[in-house]
Amino acid sequence: MAATAAWLAPPSRTELIENLVSGVDRYNPSNVGILEDYLYHQIRSEEYDCLANLAILKLYQFNPDLFNPDVVINILLKALTAEPFPDFNLCISLLDDRPPSSTLDEPDPLPTLLPLLMNLYNLLHQCRFSAFWVLYRSDELEVIRENYTVECAGFEDAIREVAARSVKATFTRIGSERLGTYVDLSGPELEAWVAKQRWSFDSSTGVVSIPPNPDNQIESVVIQEHIKLPQLSKVISHSVQVR
Amino acid sequence: MAHQRVALWAAEPDLDDADDVDIPIPMPSSTNEMYDDPNLHLDEGSLQAMQQHIAQQAAFAQIPDVVKRFIVHFHQAVLDNNLQEVTLAYESGWTRLTEKYYAKTEWPEAETIAPLVNDDQIFLILYRELYYRHVYSRLQPNVDDRFHSYENSCELFNYLLNSDGPVPLSLPANWLWDIIDEFIYQFQSFALFRSRPASKTDDELTMLGSEGGAQAWSSYSVLNVLYSLIQKSRANEWLKARAEGKTDEEIEEIVGEYGTKPLYRMLGYFSIIGLLRVHVLLGDFTLALKVMENVGLGQKAPFTAPTAVHVSTAYHAGICYFMLRRIPDAARVFTGVLNWVMRARQYHTRSYQYDQINKTADRMYALLALCYVLAPTRLDDNVMNIVRERYGDQIGRMCRGEEGLSTFEELFLYACPKFICANSPPYDDPAALASMLIPPTPTSPSSQNPSVVLGDPTQRHLRAASSHFMSLTPVSSLKSLLKLYTSLDAQKLTGFLDTSGAGVDEEEVLSWMMVMKNAGRCVGRVNTSGSTAANGEKDNDEGSRPSESLLGGEWMSISDLNFVIDQNMVHIAESTVGRRYAGWFIRNSEHAARVLDGIKASPLPPRTIPAQVQKKSADVPKGESAPRTTGPKVAWGGVKVA
Repeated sequence: MAATAAWLAPPSRTELIENLVSGVDRYNPSNVGILEDYLYHQIRSEEYDCLANLAILKLYQFNPDLFNPDVVINILLKALTAEPFPDFNLCISLLDDRPPSSTLDEPDPLPTLLPLLMNLYNLLHQCRFSAFWVLYRSDELEVIRENYTVECAGFEDAIREVAARSVKATFTRIGSERLGTYVDLSGPELEAWVAKQRWSFDSSTGVVSIPPNPDNQIESVVIQEHIKLPQLSKVISHSVQVR
Repeated sequence: MAHQRVALWAAEPDLDDADDVDIPIPMPSSTNEMYDDPNLHLDEGSLQAMQQHIAQQAAFAQIPDVVKRFIVHFHQAVLDNNLQEVTLAYESGWTRLTEKYYAKTEWPEAETIAPLVNDDQIFLILYRELYYRHVYSRLQPNVDDRFHSYENSCELFNYLLNSDGPVPLSLPANWLWDIIDEFIYQFQSFALFRSRPASKTDDELTMLGSEGGAQAWSSYSVLNVLYSLIQKSRANEWLKARAEGKTDEEIEEIVGEYGTKPLYRMLGYFSIIGLLRVHVLLGDFTLALKVMENVGLGQKAPFTAPTAVHVSTAYHAGICYFMLRRIPDAARVFTGVLNWVMRARQYHTRSYQYDQINKTADRMYALLALCYVLAPTRLDDNVMNIVRERYGDQIGRMCRGEEGLSTFEELFLYACPKFICANSPPYDDPAALASMLIPPTPTSPSSQNPSVVLGDPTQRHLRAASSHFMSLTPVSSLKSLLKLYTSLDAQKLTGFLDTSGAGVDEEEVLSWMMVMKNAGRCVGRVNTSGSTAANGEKDNDEGSRPSESLLGGEWMSISDLNFVIDQNMVHIAESTVGRRYAGWFIRNSEHAARVLDGIKASPLPPRTIPAQVQKKSADVPKGESAPRTTGPKVAWGGVKVA
C-alpha cells in the first residue's frame, strides 16, 4: 500500500478537503473555490494532491461556466511532475471540449498551450530528458515559463526528481555529463544536486555511482514453486487414513 | 361523455342500461347522443379527446387475447407481491410474447392497456419501463420517446425514493438490475444523441433547446438518482458491516428501515455498480474505482446477483485499470471474469442480458489482447488460448512496433465503452450552435471533426492510450536483442538497432532502455492468494486484509528480463520459471486416492489379493521437501492448485 498511499491521501491534505473529495459535496459548484485555493496552496508549497485536482476538473466538466484555464494549466503542470503515475492522462480525460465560451475576459489560452503541454508530457514519458529540457527552455514555451511555472515552486526540481527515478532504476553508474543533460545542471550545481540525492560523485573519473536499490540490482532468478503444507494436507491425511 | 368505458371483458353485463352495450367501439352510443340533442356543441377539445379515445379503443381491440391475459396476470402477481410469479412473467412471459407479437413493433401504449389494470399507476410506470426498454433495444427511439422515457424513469424513482416509508413492492433481482442498467444506457444513448447537433431536424432542435430539454437526462440528475438510492438504502454501510462480520441485528440497525427491505438493498447495491459505470463513461477513472471501495472485485457478491452484474463490474473496473496504466490488474480482472463466464455460460441462455454478456465478453477478450501487448506476462492458459485464437494476427502486428498503431487503435475503439461528454452543445443559443458547427478559429487544434461530433471523448481517451503504446514500441525489439546477451556494450547495441540506418543514436537507445525499465514495473494490487505470481523479490505474504482500496497497490516487477546499465555496459539477467509440477502432482495423487477408495468400496470379486497400492500413496508427499543449497538463486512463486 505504501506506493499509492501517498498518492491516494497525501499527508498534507486537510480534513476539510478530505471530506470534499470523498463525499457527495464534491459535486457542489460552490465548493470549487475551496479546491482552487487548495491547488494554489499546493503550488506554493511544493505539495501535490492528485485526487483533489481531479475533483476540480470534474466540477469544470459539469459546470462549464466555472471553467478557469489558468487553473487547468496549473493542474496539468503539477501532473507532469507526477510521472510515472498516469496523472497527466487522467487530467486530459476529464477535459471535455467546450464550445467557444463567451464568459472569459481574455481569450482562452488553453487550446494553444495544450499541444505544447502534451509534447512535454510525451517527452517525459518516453524518457527523453535532454529533449525535454531543450523544449522547455525554448522560445515557444516562454509563455508557460513566464506565467505559470515561475509561480509553481519547485517545478524544475520536481521534473529532476522524475528523471532521477528513471535513472536510479536503470543505472548503477552513469557519466556525469550524461546525467547533466538529463537534469539540466552542470558543474558545481550538478554536484550539489547529486549530493542531495545521496549518490556518490567521483570527480576524478566524472562518474556518478548510484547506490543499490531494488530496481538496479539484478540477478538471474529461477522461480521455483513454493509448496505449502496445507496444499498437501488432503494427500497426507488420506495416506494416514488408509492405515 | 358521461358513459364509463369499462373494459370489454371485465364488464358485467349490464342489462338495465341499453346504451352500455358490450361493443368495443363506442361510436354508436355517442352518435345517438348527438342526434338526440342537435344543440349539443362539441368543442375542439372534447372532440379530440373522443377521437383519441376511439383510437385507443381500436388499438385495444387489436391486442391479442393472450397478451391481455398476460398483462392481467402480471398485474395481479405484482399486486400480490408474489415474487415467483413476477419473476416467471418477467423472464419468460414477456420475452416470449415479444418474440411472437412485438418483434418489430412496439408494445401497446400504457394508456391503451390501462383499463386492463384498473389504471394502477404504479404498474403502469413499471409497464412503461418495459415498454421503453423494448423500444430502445429493438427499435429506434425518437426524440419524443427519449423525453418520455426520462419522465417515466423520474416518476419511478420518485415513487421509490419519496414515498413515506419503503414501498411495498417486491421485484426480482434481474428486473432491478435491468432498471438501473437501462436507465444508464438511456442516459448514455441520449448523451450521444445530443452531442451530434449537425443532423437534427428543426423539431428536435427546438425540443432540445427548450427548458425541459436542457433538464432531461442531465448528468447531475442521473448522478442524483444513483447517489440517493445508495444513501437511502445505506448500501455502503451495509457492505462495510458485512465485511466486518457484524451480526444480523446490528446490520439491521445500521441500515435502517429502507435497507432491510431486499428491494432497496438490491437497488442500492446495483446503484453502486451503476455509479462505477457512469464515472467510466464520463472519463473519471479514479473516482469510479473509489466508489467501488466497499464492493471489491471478488466473485463473492453478497447475494446471488445476476451474471450481468459481475460482467459489467469487471468490464468497467478493467477499463479503469487499463487507463490508469495498471495493466496487470486489468488483465487479472478480465481473466477472472472471463473464466467464470465460460463456466457459467450454459445457465444463462434465457435472460434478456444474454446477448449483452456475450458482447461484453468479446470486448474483454480484445482488451486482454491489448493488455498482453502492453505488458506481456503469463496469464491464465484457457483464456489466453481463446485470445490468441481470435486476435493472434493483431497481436503479432502490434508487437512489431510502430506499424501496429492502427491495429491498436482499431481494437481499442472496438473494445472501449462509448464515452460521453457531460455537457450538451448549446442548443438554447442558436448562434453559438452554428459557430460550433463550423470550425471557429484556426487555433483550436483539439477539435477533430467539429461538424460531426462535439470533441468526441472517445478520441481523447484513444489518444492517451495510443501515446502509451507508442512509447512502448521500441521495447519489443530491445527485448529480443537483450535476451541473447548477458552483457553488452551500449555502442554495440545502438549498432544492432540501427539496422535501417535511420541514425538512431546512443542517447535515444538509452531513453528506450529507461522506458523499458519503467514499463517493467508498475503498480499492482498485492495478490494475497498466491496464485500465478509475478516474480516477487519480496514474498507478498501480507495476510488477507479484507477491504484494500481498489486504488491501492505496490510497485511490482512484471518483466522477466532485467537489466542494468553500468556507464556504458549493459548487464542483463533473465528470470525463468522453473517447472511447475506441484499442482499437477497434487491433483493426480488426490485423484489416485479417490480411485483407490472407489475400488476398495466396491464389492470384492471372487478371488483377489488386497491391493498393495496402499504403500505408494504414502511415499509421494515426501519427495520435494529437500532444500536446494546450490545452483542459481531461487525465488519462490506461488503454486496454483485448482
